[in-house]
Amino acid sequence: MNFNVLVVDDSAVMRGMIVKTLRLSGLPLGEIHHAANGAEGLERLGEHWIDIALLDVNMPVMSGEEMLEQVRSNPETRDLAVVVVSTERSTSRIERLCQLGAAFVQKPFTPEMLRETVFRVAGVSDDSLAGSAAVSGGDLDF
Amino acid sequence: MIHSLEAPLYQAAISTFEELGFMLPSRELTPAQSAAPPEAAATVRFDGPVAGALTIYLFGGVLAALAANMLGSDDAPEPALQRDALGELANVICGTVLPAVGGADADFHLAAPRVTDSAETSFDAALALSESSMARAVLAMDDGRAEIHLFVARTTPIPLEVAS
Repeated sequence: MNFNVLVVDDSAVMRGMIVKTLRLSGLPLGEIHHAANGAEGLERLGEHWIDIALLDVNMPVMSGEEMLEQVRSNPETRDLAVVVVSTERSTSRIERLCQLGAAFVQKPFTPEMLRETVFRVAGVSDDSLAGSAAVSGGDLDF
Repeated sequence: MIHSLEAPLYQAAISTFEELGFMLPSRELTPAQSAAPPEAAATVRFDGPVAGALTIYLFGGVLAALAANMLGSDDAPEPALQRDALGELANVICGTVLPAVGGADADFHLAAPRVTDSAETSFDAALALSESSMARAVLAMDDGRAEIHLFVARTTPIPLEVAS
């Protein structure tokens, strides 16, 4: 199965870093879509089938938390696998995001941290993938 | 207040430059690094139980290498992406240090980063502000350095929309 991914972050550089990490992770990827804020993210969800969404929290127009609340309140998207990738450190805000069914990766992240969380959310393991993953642990050399 | 924020500021800056920027910062500067010319600055304002801002100033041609590292590129990225990279670094360092400013459970709102390069007229004013920072971290990397300044409002919160 190829996973269609949506990356939502107001930083094009961060979106690029996340996509690069995903490409090197060994996760079988289908389409990759980008959005610069939560409102654009919801538009992408309406236009394309998405298997996993990676969201920042602090974004202009619509935050990642607001976007996630709308995703969970829509019957068509409420089961979407979500990973929040954020600088957020507030324990109460992180708890709210987790209660909305999101996994959480704190910035700055290592490629291994992001890979491990995305694999867990996607329900895949190194053993279940055909062929070896590009990153199996240790340091990632870009 | 200054000393209690300096250690977490250094910690946040070092971990971010290492893990996000793939740089190896050092706290020891050579004379050349200390004299390196300014190139750009990024400011992130925050509001919450305490208001303030964090600004990164880059000196000595570090920005292109930093952005290239973040994007995994052999060539220097275009200027817009370099500015984006600097803004994101400021965003991450700010988010990382805020628990030391307001507590582990404090809810902060971070404004979008604002990036200025040394050719812009507002840069000198931004650089002059660094002398009034509450805490400062100076890190050597490549041929230049990064200075990270944390400003915390004592009484009146700083409006997020005020131009830097």
